Amino acid sequence: MNAPAPKRLWQRFTRTRVGRSIFRVGLPESNLERSQAMVSSFLLHVQPAKVHRHALRASYSLGLGLISLYLFCILCGTGVLLMFYYVPSTDKAYDIMKDLQFVVSAGLVIRNMHRWAAHLMVLFVMLHMCRVFYTGAYKNPREFNWVLGVGLLLVTLGLSFTGYLLPWDQLAFWAITVGTSIAGYAPVVGEKLKYLMLGGHIVGQDSLTRFYALHVIVLPAIAVLMISVHLFRVRKDGGLSRPDEPGDVVEQIPLGQLPANKSYGLMELARGTTPQVGKNPEDEVFSWPHLVFRELLLFLLVTAVVLFLAIFWNAPLEEIANAVHPPNPAKAPWYFLGLQELVSYSAFWGGVVVPGLLVTALALLPYIDRKRHGVGRWFARERVVANTIFSVCVAIAVIFTVIGSLFRGPNWSWVEPWKNPPAVTEGH
Amino acid sequence: MTDFSLAKYYAWFTALGLLVGGLVIAGYYRDDYREWKDYQRKYIKEEIHRAPTPQAKMLAERIPVEIRQAVLPDLHRVDRCTTCHLTVEDPSYGGYPQPLSYHPLHEQHPFERFGCTICHRGQGRATTAVDAHGSVPHWDEPMLPMQYIQASCGQCHEAADNPAAPELAQGEQVFENSGCRGCHKLGGTGGIIGPELDKVGARRSPEWLKKHFIAPASATPGSIMPPQKLSETNLEAIVLFMLSQTGESASGYYSSMKVLPNTREGLHLFRSRGCYGCHSVNGQGGKVGPPLDDVGLRRAPEWMIQHFRDPQSVTPGSVMPKFGFTESEARALTDFLIHMREQAVALSLPSLMSPVERGKEVFRKYGCAGCHGPDAKGGIPNPNSKTAEQVPGLLHVADGYTVVQLKARINLGQHEIPALDPKRPPPPLYMPAWSGTIKDAEVDDLVSYLISLKPKGEDVGF
Amino acid sequence: MNDSAPDKVTSRRGFFQLAFGWLAAIFAATASAAGAVRFLVPNVLFEPDQRFKAGKPDDYLDGAVTFLDDERVFIVRKGNTFRCLSAICTHLGCTVNRAGQGFHCPCHGSVFDDQGVVKSGPAPRPLDWFSVSLSKDNRLLVDKGRRVTDDKYLVI
Repeated sequence: MNAPAPKRLWQRFTRTRVGRSIFRVGLPESNLERSQAMVSSFLLHVQPAKVHRHALRASYSLGLGLISLYLFCILCGTGVLLMFYYVPSTDKAYDIMKDLQFVVSAGLVIRNMHRWAAHLMVLFVMLHMCRVFYTGAYKNPREFNWVLGVGLLLVTLGLSFTGYLLPWDQLAFWAITVGTSIAGYAPVVGEKLKYLMLGGHIVGQDSLTRFYALHVIVLPAIAVLMISVHLFRVRKDGGLSRPDEPGDVVEQIPLGQLPANKSYGLMELARGTTPQVGKNPEDEVFSWPHLVFRELLLFLLVTAVVLFLAIFWNAPLEEIANAVHPPNPAKAPWYFLGLQELVSYSAFWGGVVVPGLLVTALALLPYIDRKRHGVGRWFARERVVANTIFSVCVAIAVIFTVIGSLFRGPNWSWVEPWKNPPAVTEGH
Repeated sequence: MTDFSLAKYYAWFTALGLLVGGLVIAGYYRDDYREWKDYQRKYIKEEIHRAPTPQAKMLAERIPVEIRQAVLPDLHRVDRCTTCHLTVEDPSYGGYPQPLSYHPLHEQHPFERFGCTICHRGQGRATTAVDAHGSVPHWDEPMLPMQYIQASCGQCHEAADNPAAPELAQGEQVFENSGCRGCHKLGGTGGIIGPELDKVGARRSPEWLKKHFIAPASATPGSIMPPQKLSETNLEAIVLFMLSQTGESASGYYSSMKVLPNTREGLHLFRSRGCYGCHSVNGQGGKVGPPLDDVGLRRAPEWMIQHFRDPQSVTPGSVMPKFGFTESEARALTDFLIHMREQAVALSLPSLMSPVERGKEVFRKYGCAGCHGPDAKGGIPNPNSKTAEQVPGLLHVADGYTVVQLKARINLGQHEIPALDPKRPPPPLYMPAWSGTIKDAEVDDLVSYLISLKPKGEDVGF
Repeated sequence: MNDSAPDKVTSRRGFFQLAFGWLAAIFAATASAAGAVRFLVPNVLFEPDQRFKAGKPDDYLDGAVTFLDDERVFIVRKGNTFRCLSAICTHLGCTVNRAGQGFHCPCHGSVFDDQGVVKSGPAPRPLDWFSVSLSKDNRLLVDKGRRVTDDKYLVI
């Protein structure tokens, strides 16, 4: 056995008393150890010891969910670092942004990473949702996980929106003023909700404190919990969705009658039934290393992209918040600009009916569209109607967002961005 | 079946690993390069070069390369200018090119208490030249051009009484005499047609202000303010005065010298605190206290200062109350009393003036001239108003109004100005209600003044 | 295809690719962690400066021991000599008070004489003396970062 030196060293370490107490399994050599590596590691055990080949196909999942998760991790890391300097005070917040830029080592890069990762996360959560729709992956038995996903989309938007206020510059102040005003159009509770969110009638110190608390603890805690359940359900619902194969019967099998190679089956701890999936061993590969290594590659890719953006483009920071001098136009964050555009036509329709219907329809989708066909393939022919309706909705949302972002100038009048740069721009 | 061997991804792994590593290095490089380090190294080199002894050379070599700053909590500032301008306090660098130049005049405004940006503006927290000097997007206060630097004195000191800032005093004069207060509030006094000016200096650039005075509508589309015909020096002066109105307010240490102890301010205090209620000058005024004509010859300055602090401490049994003058107010009053004989102006105390003279002062003080013209001769355009599309002059009010009517017109204003042509937009300028702003006694004086304007030889009244 | 066969990392090219990848990734992780630590090390302080100007020499009376609130030091003038004594108790960092000719710490009762020497109490060593020099604009310049012995004076 002529394994390379570092590997030998690692193996020797994992065989010591201390090494074994930490890792249980060294670098896996046998199939048994490959399974054990996954099962005995806290970080890896949420994934099965073996995965279906289909789940590894990058062209199917595009890794969008995982990318979102990585971005969330990067956001947690950079966010905690930023918390070491940030003070949620209207007197200090803006100055601290300046200090991060001019004085703190790596302050600007870390703030940039946080900002760009946040925008990317909103984008990738949406893309992930599109992927799940177009592959019909929300269907039985994954209905509830789709609903969790809709919840996670809202939490992501909430995280980004609450974080938007924290630099306390003009961009932040007016985006939150406009954003919360859109919420104010909701029937009956709208004004009350806005009052509660802001802790007053205008964006002030209390709003900043509230948004800070939501941003750094309440929403991240909810997000972590929901992500955990989301991932857990991915596994319990049979891994990533994939096309039905002949002989690949999905049936409810009483727990306890599962093959003995499943740990929970062995222990008979669980009762009830569970969908039996992927039971053809020839379709599966060991998660270690096939899944884990691919995940590592994707993590490096995401990190590289975020770093690249953070090094070469600075996060925007405008003048200090000033309630007397609004910019013209004052714009909400980009993901709400479609709504702002709608609100400019009709407060009731744009601010209430459309977003309300949209979220309700998304949440109820798996219970409305119950036919179990066309799952696990992109743009399955059987789903042409559903896909068309969804595509039209997405296209409309994109068009409105693009109009709101680029084609709206002072007084929300029509401008053509190639002639007149819009008054509010992100970054430089 | 797809090949699930991982070997084909190893190259990707290497590439991505190197990419991330490279980006981290790039991040380090980007973060480590700071413009100010170059300036500090240059400074240290210069210090080493100048060092006369090996010992001094060693000390110079030990000067740290680090950010320097003045933390000024009471001024809500952190100024890092000395990170590059390292020698502002070192006279031996007099005449050196920037950034290594000496800044004279530190005696009254030590850097560690005042910093730089309170006077020069710019972005104190920034540590790159471009950002610090402040002519960058999203920074409202670029550095103040040196020609307007006296504006900064006016943030803390009264404009009129600062011998070091004559242009600021001139600017205030232009402001008061041009009738700006007719439409604009400043320090709580003035009309409501135009915006308040208390913080205008922090938001507007000199260029904008200039443009605004010459042709208001070109700077603020739709502005109804009439263009101001000012001489070049008066224009510069009023721009400077406007720049001084930043709304900057500092307490404690910084407010102690708001009033500079000099004669002019002393006169102002003498009038406003009602000294002539008890004391007389030139035979006019109260008889409770002694006349003050020759007090400057009778008493030493130290005695007078102590007297203002606590009259009983130097004149036991004195009935003069303790006014609670600040130190600089006491000094200003003393200065005024010593020089009173030379101050002819001291005799124009309001109580000694006629109602018409006082009324003229009221006319000036509240900016009536802004619309009704200098000496109420009229002439500011007010398009589509029935009075010849102008704000009317007031030379003939005595013919059209009784004293009671005139008072009512001043107090209540006239918000609807009759239009010449109902189809055109209504006249933009109107007469605000002044009651509550101009005091009753002042209105009486103002009416006396206006009535007196009727040219000689014409009948007064009906 | 048999996926139970382990991948052959032992092929020379595969080995180098993996090794370089890991090296770079571990380098990046270490450097990032170091960067995060460096991020937390403050480059500027918003507390009173360790080096500060204590006004003009003439601001201090001959023979007086003057306490400076913000800096927590005593300026000691004798004739034309100036010294600066720390007001921070060497026991656990409380601020000492002037008591008669010496100093008294209110927290745990240490007593120092006028030279900062411990007379009684738990303080382990005398109060610190700080370097005093004259700045280029003729102000006293105290450096609390530089301790000196009690026989070092600034002579004007």
